[in-house]
Amino acid sequence: MGRIVLKNVTKTFGETQVIPPLDLTIEDGEFAVFVGPSGCGKSTLLRMIAGLEDLTSGAIEIEGEDATDVPPAKRGLAMVFQSYALYPHMSVRKNIGFPLRMAKMEQPEIDERVETAAKSLNLMDYLDRKPADLSGGQRQRVAIGRAIVREPEAFLFDEPLSNLDAALRVGMRLEIGELHERLKTTMIYVTHDQVEAMTMANKIVVLRAGVIEQVGSPLELYHKPRNVFVAGFIGSPKMNIFSGTEAEKMGAATIGIRPEHTGVSMTDGMWKGRVGVAEHLGSDTFIHVHDTGLADMITVRITGDIAVKHGDTIYLTPQADQIHKFDAQGLRI
Amino acid sequence: MSDRKLPRLLQTPAVLLLLVWMLIPLGMTLYFSFIRYVLNSLRRPEWTTPSFSNWRGFGNYEFVLKSKDFLFAIQNSLFIVCSILFLTVILGVLIAVLINKSFPGQGIVRVLLISPFFVMPAVNAVLWINMILDPVLGLQGIAVGGINDMITGLKDAPLVGWFFSMWPELHPISFRATQTSAYAVIIMVTWQWTPFAVLIFMTSLQSEDQQQKEAAVLDGANTWSQFRFLTLPHLARPIAIVVMIQAIFHLSLYAEIEIVSRGNGNKNLPYLIGEFANNNIGAASATGIFAVILANIVAIFLLRMIGKTLME
Repeated sequence: MGRIVLKNVTKTFGETQVIPPLDLTIEDGEFAVFVGPSGCGKSTLLRMIAGLEDLTSGAIEIEGEDATDVPPAKRGLAMVFQSYALYPHMSVRKNIGFPLRMAKMEQPEIDERVETAAKSLNLMDYLDRKPADLSGGQRQRVAIGRAIVREPEAFLFDEPLSNLDAALRVGMRLEIGELHERLKTTMIYVTHDQVEAMTMANKIVVLRAGVIEQVGSPLELYHKPRNVFVAGFIGSPKMNIFSGTEAEKMGAATIGIRPEHTGVSMTDGMWKGRVGVAEHLGSDTFIHVHDTGLADMITVRITGDIAVKHGDTIYLTPQADQIHKFDAQGLRI
Repeated sequence: MSDRKLPRLLQTPAVLLLLVWMLIPLGMTLYFSFIRYVLNSLRRPEWTTPSFSNWRGFGNYEFVLKSKDFLFAIQNSLFIVCSILFLTVILGVLIAVLINKSFPGQGIVRVLLISPFFVMPAVNAVLWINMILDPVLGLQGIAVGGINDMITGLKDAPLVGWFFSMWPELHPISFRATQTSAYAVIIMVTWQWTPFAVLIFMTSLQSEDQQQKEAAVLDGANTWSQFRFLTLPHLARPIAIVVMIQAIFHLSLYAEIEIVSRGNGNKNLPYLIGEFANNNIGAASATGIFAVILANIVAIFLLRMIGKTLME
């Protein structure tokens, strides 16, 4: 079914090379997330898979067949856009049915498929409304509905949740996860939000400047980041990364320690610092520690609550087995 | 209440000016349409000054309705306006879609396309009727003559001569004639107003959402389907605007009609008003009121029609 293989794919816009030669395989039924900072080429890569951008060189295979020069509509892929890209003058029913209508399907069958899709997405009450009368979450569901009626080989999502508010985003994240469990179809999902990547993916592809920094499962990336970039990108709050004498003592050019792997004491510990802002979330406390001599600021995450005030002296002790060590090139030792 | 007084006070001059601007001409037209008022009458000199003592009731309206040109003028007004609207909208959409794609020399092409709109209506009419449509000296006459000469030459050619000898001789069309003068007006006004439609449609096309088009491409829509289901509905509102503005403008065409044929075979309501106004101001005013009513009916009718067909 929906196995997608990129072979030596490159893309240049004029003089600038956006994607240097890149190889990637996405297995059938996988939920792959492309994640990276903005401008890293993740959306371009997705658009190349969709066929909306031409490849400068290389080849794309979908289900074992070369799709490099196949027009977008014939690739059997469905895409959900960041702006939803619903057709504003058509009702929800017509929006969802549009791909089927373009495929010259009979009207009764279109109606049936649209109803099935609408039922599964809780859109039955809105079928005759126009997109302008829907909320952001409903519009997103219509866009997904338009994608699933085609029964595609793979779904492509281009930052589909970034226009939604935080609460809705969590809900939609679960819905898309459910959808993947139910359909077992290959999904490729582009986001700059590492939380979305961690929660939804089977396979995360971390990109920077068009180069794949690491491919792996969420926990692989969390526990064994291949380099400093991935270490800093995956995990929230961010990993504390610093170089200098402390790092050299441990035989590395740079070391990283996650906020949740640092112990805290008011009396003694490995590193001494001054408490800056402490964020009390109830379940967790994030303490931002200054003047440690390691980095501008070290973030510490403690389960539960702790009584610290701004300006207090605090001692930090990293868990020895959770320290990530990197060499001068930034690669994991 | 007092915090509303000041804004109201400040609005007053503008509102008053608008009222004076609109209500006084309309009121005077209504007043003249109900009295006997002529510019020159030896027999009844008292009719040459407007006064309530010359009250005629609906007499002017009756006179206009019964005059032989009135029905023709209304039909002809509608024919000219609808033809121009039809042509400018279709040409406008086609040209706008065509030049919306980027190509070398795009800026110059756009300026050239818009330039007919800067030509004055009377100049436009003189240029077209004398230099282009004239059956002898105009481009039309020269072109028809050239084609005739070519065919005559080919009649003697070996092998294909028999084929061309069966062709008829072409005759240029005189656009000042009773039967054709309306077409001349339609052609020249269409030429002048297509740029207006292009300009409005072009700006609208630039605001079209590109992601929608990409979504449509992935949904399997070909170029025609994208045009039909995305671009055309997107253009529905600008089309309505173009139709409304043009309907109002073209119902009052005058210069072109005057220059092409002096109303011969081609009158519209404003032209009829002009003819009445040579002497009979009362009848001219009554015709003016009919023109106002017609303009409103046309505008409402056209807008409804476009709204229904394009918005689905």
